[in-house]
Order: sequence, then structure tokens, then C-alpha cells
Amino acid sequence: MMETKITYYRNKLGITQEELAKVVGVTRQTIISLEQNKYNPSLILASKITQALKQKHIEDVFIFNSK
Amino acid sequence: MIGKYNWFKRRKYTGWGFTPATWQGWLYIVVLVIPIILLTGDGHMTQTRIILLIIWSIIFVVDFIDIMIHLPKDERDRIHEAISERNALWVIVIVLAVGVAYQAAQGAIKGIVQVDPVIIVAILAGLFAKIVSNIYLDKKN
Repeated sequence: MMETKITYYRNKLGITQEELAKVVGVTRQTIISLEQNKYNPSLILASKITQALKQKHIEDVFIFNSK
Repeated sequence: MIGKYNWFKRRKYTGWGFTPATWQGWLYIVVLVIPIILLTGDGHMTQTRIILLIIWSIIFVVDFIDIMIHLPKDERDRIHEAISERNALWVIVIVLAVGVAYQAAQGAIKGIVQVDPVIIVAILAGLFAKIVSNIYLDKKN
């Protein structure tokens, strides 16, 4: 399962779930699921979120947990 | 097309199709229904009215399909929809197969062939749709 730092970087930028969802083209529910580590995004979505959160690398935001 | 897809959202928990998400969506439904009521309300179906009803129905079936195709969905929605549609389809296929077996058994007892051909055609049509989808998807990615 994937763990994410979306909440951390989103709060740092001061943007809401709704705003992030709009920027990356998904629903707010998808952002909620991602923040709760319930949903594994596609590489494209992970890349869009990384860019929206002003990070360089996908692994800065998404941490793959092989366990 | 008449209806805009962002007026609607996918019907998630109450069946198939879409449900209005904005006032424009509700207005669309009203606009869809009023002519049908006007054409059929008094019970007198003339040939002109039947033709108008058929034309009106075709317009909205085409529009309905267009809206269904373009409904706003993200990747998570698509995955959820695919899984729930697959589950629904499996239940339908099982019920139809049990129905065919029941009808065949009833027919065998009576010594006649008694299976509803519509059920067989429905299962075969589904099989065909699955084959075509898999060929298309294999070629696409």
C-alpha cells in the first residue's frame, strides 16, 4: 500500500482538498481516499499531484510500502 | 447535444444512469418529460403524435448516451464503476443461467424444448460484447 504526504504538503501550501482536486482533475473524494492511504493512484495522477504540491519527485509525496 | 454532462453525476447507489447535480440537470429532466406528457396525457394517440413521440425519444436516447459517455469521472470512479458493473453482470449472468436451467428442466419433464430464446440471446450478446471489448483493449494497450 502507498502512504502519502499529501495532507502535509497541502497544508503547507494552504490549499483545500477541493482546490487540489480541481487542479489535478479528480473529485474531492479521491483526494480524501489518497490522504487516508486507501487508494493507490496511477502514475499520471501521482505525477500531477506531485507537481500541484510543488514537489520535484513522486517519492517525495508517495511512499511505497511493500509490506 | 442538448444536455451538458456537467449538469449530472453518475448514479452510484440507486441503479444505472445519471442523476441531476445542478438545477440545469433538473430542468433538462422536466424538458424531457413535459412533451411526453403533452403527447400521451389525454390518451388519444394519433399517427402524428406517435411519430413525434418516436422522434422525441430518439433525440433523448442519443443525448442520454452522450451524457453517459461524457459524465465527469476520475480514475478512482472508473475503477469503482468497472468493479461494480462486473459484479452486477456476474449476478445477472448467474440468474439468467439458473433461469435457463430451470426452464430446460421444466421442459424436459414435459418432454418439450422450453427455453426462452431471449435469455440465450442476451447471454450470447454479453459474451460477444466481452470478446470485442477484450480484443479492443488488447490492441489499445
